Amino acid sequence: MLLSGCVGFGREYTRVKGFSHAEVGAVCLKGTTLEPRLGNAPHRLCETPSGLLNAIGLQNPGVDRVVEEILPGLDPEEVHWIANVSGSTLEEYEAVTRRFDDTPVAAIEINISCPNVKEGGVAFGNDPDMSARVVEVCRRATNKPLITKLSPNQTDIAGNARRCIEAGTDALAVINTLMGMSVDLRTRTPVLGNDQGGLSGPAIKPVALLKVHQVHQVAGPLGIPIIGQGGIASARDALEFIVAGASAVGVGTALFYDPLICPKINRGILDYLEEQGIASVEALRGTLRTHAVQRCACG
Amino acid sequence: MTRRETPSIVEQEAEILAHEAHPGEQYVLRLRAPDVASQARPGQFVHLRCGPCLPLRRPLSIQRTDPREGWIELLYKRVGAGTAALAEQPVGGRLPLLGPIGVPFRPDPRRPRVLLLGGGVGIPPMIFAAQWLRGRTPWKPLALLGSEVPFPFTPRPSRSSVSGLDGTRAAMPLLEDWGIPSRLASRAGLPGCHAGYVTELAERWIAARGHAEDTQILACGPHAMLKAVAALACRHGLPCQVSLEEFMACAVGGCAGCVVRVETPLGPAMQRVCVDGPVFDARAVFGPCA
Ligand SMILES: Cc1cc2nc3c(=O)[nH]c(=O)nc-3n(C[C@H](O)[C@H](O)[C@H](O)COP(=O)(O)OP(=O)(O)OC[C@H]3O[C@@H](n4cnc5c(N)ncnc54)[C@H](O)[C@@H]3O)c2cc1C
Ligand SMILES: Cc1cc2nc3c(=O)[nH]c(=O)nc-3n(C[C@H](O)[C@H](O)[C@H](O)COP(=O)(O)O)c2cc1C
Ligand code: FES
Repeated sequence: MLLSGCVGFGREYTRVKGFSHAEVGAVCLKGTTLEPRLGNAPHRLCETPSGLLNAIGLQNPGVDRVVEEILPGLDPEEVHWIANVSGSTLEEYEAVTRRFDDTPVAAIEINISCPNVKEGGVAFGNDPDMSARVVEVCRRATNKPLITKLSPNQTDIAGNARRCIEAGTDALAVINTLMGMSVDLRTRTPVLGNDQGGLSGPAIKPVALLKVHQVHQVAGPLGIPIIGQGGIASARDALEFIVAGASAVGVGTALFYDPLICPKINRGILDYLEEQGIASVEALRGTLRTHAVQRCACG
Repeated sequence: MTRRETPSIVEQEAEILAHEAHPGEQYVLRLRAPDVASQARPGQFVHLRCGPCLPLRRPLSIQRTDPREGWIELLYKRVGAGTAALAEQPVGGRLPLLGPIGVPFRPDPRRPRVLLLGGGVGIPPMIFAAQWLRGRTPWKPLALLGSEVPFPFTPRPSRSSVSGLDGTRAAMPLLEDWGIPSRLASRAGLPGCHAGYVTELAERWIAARGHAEDTQILACGPHAMLKAVAALACRHGLPCQVSLEEFMACAVGGCAGCVVRVETPLGPAMQRVCVDGPVFDARAVFGPCA
């Protein structure tokens, strides 16, 4: 899957020769709100060791224009298009979800983990009660498959996942970006116009893997699939997420490194399955064998 | 079928054919990139991986192309980790490159006198514009280039006379060889150069000619310079296109990370430097003329 915020509204990467949506199962569109948003002031990006900090601020033309002007240009036969919903209030989440209900999108992803807006987003995602309420109102607003995107910026992601499942989510996306900051020493100001941003890319992969593993403990037995993401940049990375419990994987930042990375990841996954004599990705999913130890992560 | 953009950006491993260091931490890099060389237009850029340890690419303007021999040339200044890693790359090595990217300059053929104003590492797109306008009708370009560090070439006294600018003789040899007049400005006391800004040279040229209805401006350089250029364009009623910079991640329009605020007929908008630019109308960026 191509991840929200990294591929605009589905057309942008078609500028690159050789790029094809046939290499992915789904494409998640940019976070969409009820009203148009201009987003944050520049700079919006900063490279960090093995990672990328971003503070886009959910720049989008508003759900009406997305539904009326953008979706008609996307062919549902080509790939599964997934809408990504954001809001500052419960009512906004509900209204945007309802607007997407009667469109050809294959599923709706609720982003309760955006670190780059003042209200809503991660403030909802870090509060299990609020997370569950967002999922509930969205559930009432649509019959389409609902994916809830969880934040790593919280203490008990598995507990929150359970609440979201009880509230009616069909799948979970794990994880969104980690909150971070970069400092410009010459000016002694944060590099990002928004001061803080969301960290993505290989730097967050170990965090993401652990969160997928933790959420899988809860979601696996209930048959709720996980879309694993956070720093996937190779077939090995993708395979590690699948072993940890992901049913599908997503690529975001690594597309910036190499816009033609998806066929390479797909090939590598197939080669591994063949080498290991494993029949399918499903057969590999959640096969992590943890050590029977008393856990202490204190070094 | 899904509505598409024209698939105009090529991803390839580009071989380093030449890599020269110049004073002021400036480097001229020549890469084998036949598709980019044959497709690129002035103002466009490439998105280049600078080394194995920095996976995010850096945008650099195209300064020259040779479509026949299949190479492109870039000029960059070492400013941070990315350009420092790039400076280490040896001839014969290969770098992943995406390009050509962006909206090029679109000069108006009703105004054949094209003032090419370049400052610092804003010079490369002006050289490329000169290469492209050279020998084509109706264009008569004049390049005015400024730098606060020594130029990445040895200035040569100009053989051609330019209205109002004969007090300044220093010119760029490559442009002289192409038959395109140029003059150089620097506040760093470089011999033969005008001791001031390129906008001052432009003012003198316009004043000496006494009219400017046949003139337009293409410019690239630091923000303060572009602001002064936009004001100059307003004073003389000249159309003016400027090439802007912002940090980039994808460089294909996907992340909305590289935006600048511009005025549009529908109100303020955040537009992407990578695919909506890097070339913008100066008035959209700096506001309408007072
Ligand atoms: C379309 C475009 C064309 C460009 N053409 C050229 C060129 O021909 N020659 C050249 O030397 N430079 C050019 N630049 C600027 C160049 O991309 C940056 O200098 C480079 O990315 C810096 O990377 P770094 O890792 O060395 O520096 P960093 O460590 O990332 O940053 C060092 C300093 O450079 C500034 N910076 C970083 N990235 C950019 C950026 N993308 N644009 C502007 N400033 C930045 C930051 O403010 C920082 O203070 C261009 C930029 C754009 C957007
Ligand atoms: C520039 C950028 C913009 C993003 N915008 C959104 C967004 O609008 N909605 C959302 O749910 N996630 C957004 N994300 C998060 C990604 O979808 C993804 O979950 C995260 O980056 C981790 O994956 P990665 O390391 O492969 O990029 C954004 C990420 C980046 C880098
Ligand atoms: S760099 Fe991603 S939109 Fe311009």
